[in-house]
Amino acid sequence: MTQNTTQASADTKQATFEIQHRESIIGSYRTEIAIAIAIIVLALAVGSQVPQALSWGNFANITQAGAPLIIMSLGVLLVVITGGIDLSVGSVFSLTGMVTAQAMAHGFGGFEASLIGLSVGLLFGSINGFLVTIAGLAPFVVTLITFAVAGSLAFIVTNGRSMPIGDPDFWLLNSGSLVPGMPNYILFCIVLLVVIELFLKKIVAGRWFYAVGSSAQAARLLGIPVKRTTFLAYVASSLLASFSGLLTISYILNAESTAGSSLMLQAIAAVVIGGASLLGGTGTAVGAVLGALMITVIQNGVNLIGINSFWQGSVTGVAILIAVLIDRFSKSRRGAG
Amino acid sequence: MGTARQIVVSVSGLTKAYGATSVLKGVDFSVDRGEVHALLGGNGAGKSTMIRIITGSAAKDAGDIVFHSPSGELRTEAEGRRKIAVVHQELALLPHLTVAENIALPYFANGAALFNRKRAAGQAYDALAMIDREFAATSLQRLIGDLSLHEGQMVEIARALASGAELILLDEPTANLTAQETDRLFTVLRRLTRESGLSVVFVSHRMKEIRQIANVCTIIRDGRTVVDRAATASLTDADIIEKMGQTATAHVSERAAVPTRRALDGEPLIIKENGFRLELRPGTILGVAGAPAGPSTLIATLVGAARSRRWTVSHASWPDSFSSPRQAARLGSGFITGDRSHKGILHSLPIIDNVLASRRVVRGSKVTGVHEQTECLDLMQALKVKAASIWNLPNTLSGGTQQKLLLARWLGLPSRLLVLEEPTRGVDIGTKREIYHLIRQMAASGTVIVWWSTENAELLEVCDRVMAFDTEGRCAGVIENEDLSEDRLAELTGMAA
Repeated sequence: MTQNTTQASADTKQATFEIQHRESIIGSYRTEIAIAIAIIVLALAVGSQVPQALSWGNFANITQAGAPLIIMSLGVLLVVITGGIDLSVGSVFSLTGMVTAQAMAHGFGGFEASLIGLSVGLLFGSINGFLVTIAGLAPFVVTLITFAVAGSLAFIVTNGRSMPIGDPDFWLLNSGSLVPGMPNYILFCIVLLVVIELFLKKIVAGRWFYAVGSSAQAARLLGIPVKRTTFLAYVASSLLASFSGLLTISYILNAESTAGSSLMLQAIAAVVIGGASLLGGTGTAVGAVLGALMITVIQNGVNLIGINSFWQGSVTGVAILIAVLIDRFSKSRRGAG
Repeated sequence: MGTARQIVVSVSGLTKAYGATSVLKGVDFSVDRGEVHALLGGNGAGKSTMIRIITGSAAKDAGDIVFHSPSGELRTEAEGRRKIAVVHQELALLPHLTVAENIALPYFANGAALFNRKRAAGQAYDALAMIDREFAATSLQRLIGDLSLHEGQMVEIARALASGAELILLDEPTANLTAQETDRLFTVLRRLTRESGLSVVFVSHRMKEIRQIANVCTIIRDGRTVVDRAATASLTDADIIEKMGQTATAHVSERAAVPTRRALDGEPLIIKENGFRLELRPGTILGVAGAPAGPSTLIATLVGAARSRRWTVSHASWPDSFSSPRQAARLGSGFITGDRSHKGILHSLPIIDNVLASRRVVRGSKVTGVHEQTECLDLMQALKVKAASIWNLPNTLSGGTQQKLLLARWLGLPSRLLVLEEPTRGVDIGTKREIYHLIRQMAASGTVIVWWSTENAELLEVCDRVMAFDTEGRCAGVIENEDLSEDRLAELTGMAA
């Protein structure tokens, strides 16, 4: 082979990469763009009925109310990508709040109490991860068990009573500004979104999440550490649920045993609206966050328009249905990020 | 071989039992540096099990495995296994990831590292281009789930080539490849074994390929080594078949021996594509040859899996097109898929349900009766399927035996049409002959057979007519009688034989 042909083939090779690479970047956020548009349309529709819905004040409301769901959804997403499911996040959320509030009542400062609260997430995440990977039980069953256990422990901590927050400065976790001009709840959402999206896309272990969800059997044969990856997903999910619980009590300044009971289904719904398949192997952090935002916008709109709030569930349900149908019939199969 | 052998891996006295079934009863096997070594044996002889033990995905009961480095030093098992790449019979692919990721991801060992897409694409391109430059140039960012079976097979092989392994184990790598791709693969393997001292273990049931590529062979039979490292050229086909324990008469061509080769009376089946018309009398065996793109749309139409604008299939008692595979099956259009693992075997159901699946659909059974057990046993006996119990799961059987379960589904059913995709994929020579015989019998009873195979020799042996597709997926013509030859087929399909 002459020098010339080698050079030529190297050039064509480079060219094909460029083209293939560019296409993949344009195409990879198609679903997310569609959801973003849908959210804007929804917000405008609500705004046409209730003008104040489009005010900055309401925007702040939506993000503040939506932050815990956004963070929890990011955790659930990690598990869903690996082909699992985490039903325990709502209970872990509640239990974290109760344990943290109780710790403060026993004289711990806000920071120490938060660490104690997060250890609840670490513990339950590890139990989930252990039972799914080492014991080989089905994720649905495992997390149904921890959902029930953590849920009941959330009552036991205070015998069912709600618990006010002891540390007077604890509100700063949610509403303070580590970065000037930006409330923490927004900062946390953005940081977690960016970190998780980059992890999933750019880090080898992130690609393992998709590999495991795509085919655990094939991933194992390829030498990908399936168990370690799966374990990590459950721990991350529980930790994020825990953190989201902390954020909520810091906002409401009161911990309740049932605080997270509706959140688990919303988080799963957010992940699904965001384009992830419950069969695993697909989904993006951006999608999950947009899914969570969409649910929050719907709830907010239902409130503002003055519809009986019992309708919230039905409206959310229809939104999920539409999102899933669009995903189903938009021809292009979605890849793993 | 005058000089001292450079052994890469040697296995001695290996035994393995799954429950009461002992699969390996003391196997010896060794591979030298730079050789292509054919590993032969009938279905269930223990080839795949041995490969799994060598690569560490199954544990041995007893025996020794010794790995050596290129300089001849002993290696630990873990070290040795890192230098092995395997292409499994059932593909190990990640459907939601891209071609590039599927090839490169396994070689990013550190989870905390950055996943460099450019580097991954580069690795993948280099590996794929060895087999198919055009595919490499166009498909790096395609999702595996969108690829055909044979494209997936190429990805799998490319991954092994990209690994920098010193030993590659190929478990029937050519089963899903076209003749042209097989050719290119062989060229690559020859070059790598010669230039970089790569060793290749090659499992195949295709005698012609074995002779083309392998200089050494080992034959395993019932979990024991019966021929250890013989030169392939020193054994005749008949020797090999006999050592594998296949019946000696089985390899005699039965073409003349089959009773009714005349087309039978009855309503013909008509296949049409704009301008092209093919009439198939009952009892015809129609071969379909060529790259998968063309045959797969025809087959999808024939079995009701998809409607096609190109093809129309008509028969006096059929609707214009089938609305579903269920309707097709109930109107007598049978189908045996070539994608055994994903579209064929029902993995979580016992053997009996796998065997009787089509019968239940055709008959519209509401209740599964006791008589089914006898029926299942009869079918298994007819196909010589050895299984401890009909209630075992299919994964207790070897790949070739699972293929027989698929065949059993339609065997003996009075169907009008039976479409077969690579029905002899992964089955040993003896079983192959049995399958040919059984299919001919079905044809003799009036069933039209459509037989798609990438193995032209097989089509020539079994079929009355062969429909050839070119690489663009267009029908290039139908050949029959004296026109049937490998050269003519190669010419029409645009692929080297």
